[in-house]
Amino acid sequence: MRSVVLFGALSALLALPDALAVKSQDFKTCSQSGFCRRGRALAARAQEAQSSWNSPYSVDPSSILILPEDSTVKAVVKSSLYPEIKFGLELRIHDDGVVRVLLDEVDGLRKRYDEAASWALVSEPKLSKGIRWAAGKKELRAVFGEKNDIEVAVNYDPFRVRLRRGGEDQIVLNGRGLLHMEHFRSQTLKETTEEVVSEENAEGQEVLQIENVRAWFEGDSEDAYWEEKFSSWTDSKPKGPESLSLDITFPNHGTVYGIPQHATNLSLPSTTGESPSYTDPFRLYNADVFEYIASSPMSLYGSIPVMHAHSAETTVGLFNAIGSETWIDIAYPTKRSTHTHWISESGIMDVFLLPGPTPEDVFAQYARLTGTTALPAHWSLGYHQCRWNYVSSDDVRTVQKRFDEEDMPVDVFWLDIEYAQDHKYFIWDHKTFPDPVEMTNEVAAAGRKMVVIVDPHLKRTSDYPVYQEASDLDILVKPKSGEGEYEGWCWTGSSSWIDHFNPASWDWWISKFKTTKIDTGFSWIESTEDIHIWNDMNEPSIFNGPEITMPKDSIHYGGWEHRDVHNINGMLFHNNTAQAVRVRSDISKRPFVLTRSFYAGSQRVGAMWTGDNLGTWDHMAVGIKMVLANGIAGMAFAGSDVGGFFGNPEPEMLVRWYQVGIFSPFFRAHAHIDTKRREPFLLDEPYKSIIRDILRLRYSMLPIWYTAFKENSVTGMPIVRPHYVMFPQDTAGFDIDDQFFVGSSGILVKPVTEKGKNEATIYLPEDQVYYDYFTQYAYRGSIKGKYVIVAAELHQVPVFIRGGSILPTRERPRRSSPLMRLDPFTIRVALSKAGTARGELYLDDGVTYLHQQGELVWREFVAEQPQKKITRISSRDLAAQNPGKAVDGVALTTYDPKNAFAKEIEEVRVEKIVILGLVWKPSSVKVEGGAELKWEFVPGVAAIDTKEGTASVLIIKDPKVLITSDWAIVVS
Amino acid sequence: MLWLLLLPLPLQALGATAKTLGVSPRLVSEYVPSKSNTWTCLDGSKQIPWDYVNDDSCDCADGSDEPGTGACPNQPFYCQNEGHIGAFIPSSRVKDGLCELDCCDGSDERPGVCEDVCKEVGQAHKKKVEEETKIRKTGSKIRSTYIAYAHKEKKRLEGVIEASATEIAIRENEVIRLRDITERAESLSAAALELKQQSPLYISLVTHSNALKSLQREHKKHLQREEELSDILNALRTGYNPNYQDMAVLEAVRGWEEMAGLPHINDVGKDSVSNEEAGVQEDTASDVAEPEEALDDEMWSAEELEKDLDDLLNSDYVSLLLEHDEYVQSPTEGSALFDIASYLPDSVVPQFEGFRETLVSWLVTLGIIKGETPSSTDTSHLRQALTDAENELKKVKKEKEDAENDIKEIFNVHGYGLEGEWKKLDGTCLRTEVGDYTYEVCLFGEAKQIPNKGGSTFSLGKFASWNPSPDVKPGEEAYYQKQIYNRGTRCWNGPERNVVLLLSCGTENTLHSVVELEKCEYQLTGTTPALCRPLDNFGGKEGKNSNASRDEL
Repeated sequence: MRSVVLFGALSALLALPDALAVKSQDFKTCSQSGFCRRGRALAARAQEAQSSWNSPYSVDPSSILILPEDSTVKAVVKSSLYPEIKFGLELRIHDDGVVRVLLDEVDGLRKRYDEAASWALVSEPKLSKGIRWAAGKKELRAVFGEKNDIEVAVNYDPFRVRLRRGGEDQIVLNGRGLLHMEHFRSQTLKETTEEVVSEENAEGQEVLQIENVRAWFEGDSEDAYWEEKFSSWTDSKPKGPESLSLDITFPNHGTVYGIPQHATNLSLPSTTGESPSYTDPFRLYNADVFEYIASSPMSLYGSIPVMHAHSAETTVGLFNAIGSETWIDIAYPTKRSTHTHWISESGIMDVFLLPGPTPEDVFAQYARLTGTTALPAHWSLGYHQCRWNYVSSDDVRTVQKRFDEEDMPVDVFWLDIEYAQDHKYFIWDHKTFPDPVEMTNEVAAAGRKMVVIVDPHLKRTSDYPVYQEASDLDILVKPKSGEGEYEGWCWTGSSSWIDHFNPASWDWWISKFKTTKIDTGFSWIESTEDIHIWNDMNEPSIFNGPEITMPKDSIHYGGWEHRDVHNINGMLFHNNTAQAVRVRSDISKRPFVLTRSFYAGSQRVGAMWTGDNLGTWDHMAVGIKMVLANGIAGMAFAGSDVGGFFGNPEPEMLVRWYQVGIFSPFFRAHAHIDTKRREPFLLDEPYKSIIRDILRLRYSMLPIWYTAFKENSVTGMPIVRPHYVMFPQDTAGFDIDDQFFVGSSGILVKPVTEKGKNEATIYLPEDQVYYDYFTQYAYRGSIKGKYVIVAAELHQVPVFIRGGSILPTRERPRRSSPLMRLDPFTIRVALSKAGTARGELYLDDGVTYLHQQGELVWREFVAEQPQKKITRISSRDLAAQNPGKAVDGVALTTYDPKNAFAKEIEEVRVEKIVILGLVWKPSSVKVEGGAELKWEFVPGVAAIDTKEGTASVLIIKDPKVLITSDWAIVVS
Repeated sequence: MLWLLLLPLPLQALGATAKTLGVSPRLVSEYVPSKSNTWTCLDGSKQIPWDYVNDDSCDCADGSDEPGTGACPNQPFYCQNEGHIGAFIPSSRVKDGLCELDCCDGSDERPGVCEDVCKEVGQAHKKKVEEETKIRKTGSKIRSTYIAYAHKEKKRLEGVIEASATEIAIRENEVIRLRDITERAESLSAAALELKQQSPLYISLVTHSNALKSLQREHKKHLQREEELSDILNALRTGYNPNYQDMAVLEAVRGWEEMAGLPHINDVGKDSVSNEEAGVQEDTASDVAEPEEALDDEMWSAEELEKDLDDLLNSDYVSLLLEHDEYVQSPTEGSALFDIASYLPDSVVPQFEGFRETLVSWLVTLGIIKGETPSSTDTSHLRQALTDAENELKKVKKEKEDAENDIKEIFNVHGYGLEGEWKKLDGTCLRTEVGDYTYEVCLFGEAKQIPNKGGSTFSLGKFASWNPSPDVKPGEEAYYQKQIYNRGTRCWNGPERNVVLLLSCGTENTLHSVVELEKCEYQLTGTTPALCRPLDNFGGKEGKNSNASRDEL
């Protein structure tokens, strides 16, 4: 499967004219990056030396200090290359079995950046109590876990860390001896690292030869130690070499996932070893890549250094908390093992080993570290209509009017950069937007919102109060001199950037979003609480900077260089903006802030999108994989621009892209300023009506999406789930990344992402019935996995309900999602081959934080066969039974089913129940303890059959049961 | 209107569960139960119990069982709107918690959600209609003057056609006469002329002329290319997208500014200081442009080249040859060749005489100066007269053709309208200022974007058609509410500029707004009395009878 990638890359390149390809010369390859070159050269030397290669790093056994209270151990690590340099090692075992491994230079010339984890972690992890570390002659080890089957062992010489489960190696650090923490040195000390050797050559002439005794490990040149040039830029590197090379081996896992963001397969292709799929390592260095390639290991806008290693037996995870540029080589020496090599430019080693053993466990372990997706505002799961740019307030009004005339639902209208006078964000261009508040109020009148862009670059002009205040407060990023203001070029022309690492910037930035006047300066009085925010360009994107971003030697708060914090930078801006939107009103409301750049922990803040994609089929397809990969790394609220940012998609492509979009957690259509308008109401028939139906399908499924978001917010389980997450033991599904499940709902989707298709092939992984969502046709998988072919004409998106699922939907089309608040539900019961089913529904006001006080409704629906020939469908409360799992971050102790929110929707009823796969026509359908209901039965294939064919359908008309109450309906 | 009489009065009395809630007057008679208390979906697909009608649960495939609840998608809901005009709203708005203007009686919402505001809405609507009516009345008066103008214009053109026809007849005869004479005269002199045309001087002249023509063509090509290039560069300069700050683009812009002596675009309009700077820069630029190269006296200036070269190249060389012939033969009239001696210093005269004799004898031998063909000049004069006569004839014919075409357009549905109401506006230019530009549309001509602070004017396109939508029939109001201007100056890295001009009835010819909804696609709105059709054409006289308009709906 992996070789497919290269072919994909080629065809993507061929499909695009030159003008529409990434400017790859703008971005470094590994060979153009000094530390990556050094790291790869180190790996090459190790490869060549084979078994004679030994890591120079070892633990000094005499230094071991065990802190039994905290299950922590400390020791000194030394390198035989530099005996005088000391490294401090620390291992901590968290109470959920996660092992944190820290390594830092001690008493060095300078200090390595050690704050990456503090930005990423949601809180200080709880340490396990009383796990005993035992220091032996050769190694130090601890055994833990519920079954005492997890072991972490630190080998002294060479220094090596192994995580084992049941005696099998899961994760090994420095197993290949590639660990190298370049210590701080001064440039003049160079000679001391060399020995001068005189010898006579054959001609009897004396040759002065300098031999570097560390060359076997470090190489014999000081490659890019003190300065580095790229194109016309020079990186001054005042701190000299400080990179960190670390090999991480998964000896028993043949598949790895994660490390977003890359436009590539979910199952990561190899970058080294025998015939690798890519020649460069995967790179994590947040970058604004113009017209990126649909298959490439190149960096994109965000970086999450999280990896899952997976096999049919176990899943383990790894979080490498580092904020500097990082390159990751991946090789598969065998089908069942994976080598990875992480090369970072600066920072301490701070690695979290997530022991699993299931994908679900790894998600939970990672969620405890960096948090989960904050439960979003319900409206933000609706359809977002964006374009660069809606040019005036009248334009916005007209677009809204056209949506309403065409009866197409939409929740949010977006404004890109042109709303702002000279791109001075917050400052409306009154020539085109004379009445922003009135405009917003008109949009809000239909329950809708606006999202307006605020980018991080501030126009350097004294008549821009936001810049002037930031300048006065001295909270802007500084140039390499450490004095004054860094100046770069962006939309605004000459610009500066707020240093969000500076705590002094936080409250100030938050105050800018107040919708009322403040005493301390500018606030956005020309806005309302219905305006939410879009943070773009926060990598940061700087047009005249190296690799379109900030020079690495720019200076942040605390004197840290930009190189140390680059990948974290975007998250802080995003976070502070979201805080601002949250607290701008008296009653906190959930903020919606979209970001382009992100890091580990960004999921706590808001949604992301995959940046400036192209309007090509390749990009449509890879967008799905990217969203899945983001989910693996916790960034679950994700989506790609529907229609493609660049280009003018033909109607067929646009329709297919909407079909992809409605099955993305974040669903937004966007378009570049040079493209033709393509709002769905502009299409001709039949496309217009097809898209209307697609939009309505998304809206009807909002209860399913919101329930999936709630689950994610509590457990960290992805919202769109790839195959291996659902069926970890099914090896045939490990590489599948073009079909996926929505939450725990049982909905399986395979969007069509190719031109001219009228059918699709779906992989059914289990011996279970899967019902076509629209036709109720019952397909059957097999225990070994089975492919079925289904019709997929342009108006059809292949959607299935896994047998055993119950889906709550709301099927009345509305203009926007808030207007569905009191609409009745339809309940689809898709019986499993055992004749049972279950499903969940979570509801709250969707806007405030009152759910944290228990104002919510969380129901479970169950279909069972209490007796032969009787199917009983019941609804019961889940919140009271599991108050601790009802809300993220708040352990509710009690739950009142008569809470204010539940009362508000107490009249909301179930208007229809559809049961798929009953065996016989019922003789009676009753609400338990009530009268006979009205119903219709269409005979067909039963769930317990082995046949395929249209399933039997029982439609119960208006059972008049309420969504917030317990009830049961008996079909006999 | 009958239903008004038939409708039982206490509709409201039936309450929220009324079976006819949301049913339009036309269909109300369909909503009655059968004898067996059943009801058939309007599409005939299903028979359901009468209870199922408006029970907030969708049963019919066509949604017809739920006219009043919103339970079926795509089922229109009819609001009675007593006091205003009844209207349909889509089922997506029924019971969505919002009060609609279209449903001012609030009948689409749960009781108590919306007040009945039909009285106010109705009054406001009436007022609006009245205002519109007033405008339309005034406008239509102006429009009738346009129609009168068209008729006058038609008459005038008919006159032109008639007069031209007479003139054409006369001129045709004249041409025939002249052609006859010329041909006869020419056939006599043709042989002689052929001989004369062998003259190396003539051949060389013709070669020079051809070379010069080629050079001029090449020159024009280059000028045009230069102009296109400077258009491209100007467009790049003013319109370049700082998208991803391509430094190569920025360099190109800076280079062009330097070469063309323009201020840097990012400095333009920054503030008065930089404006002054820009002014200074422009001055220096013109200084730089001036001292090109000092021209020899005899060299043509660029202006002459442009103005006079065509005339020179259009010279009739045959006539010149003949004139020359005549000239050479009559020294008395002052041939330079024969008279040069008088200008020469005496010392050179003897040599000159000798040279002249040799030259003249050469010329005689070559047949350039011969005395036997005095008719050559006559034929060239005749030929000239014929050409002139033919040109005159062409001109008159063209005049007639134009007039005929114009007449066709005046009362043409695709042209100035069936009533000719647009003829008056042919060439009328409407202007409006938006931002840094003035937008101008000369109706049926060209649309332009003119920068207010200097810089190039861009064509936004030439008139192409009325509303091209296949859904709109030529001649109906919607057809004339939209004009398309296309093939304007190409955008940098983009399409040609186009304009959609949306017009509505108004008492004046004005432009109201300009928006560039997508790159280089301009949408202009404006008003014109030409669209104010008289009220009679619209049915209903001044809203005299509200029931009548309700019936229409």
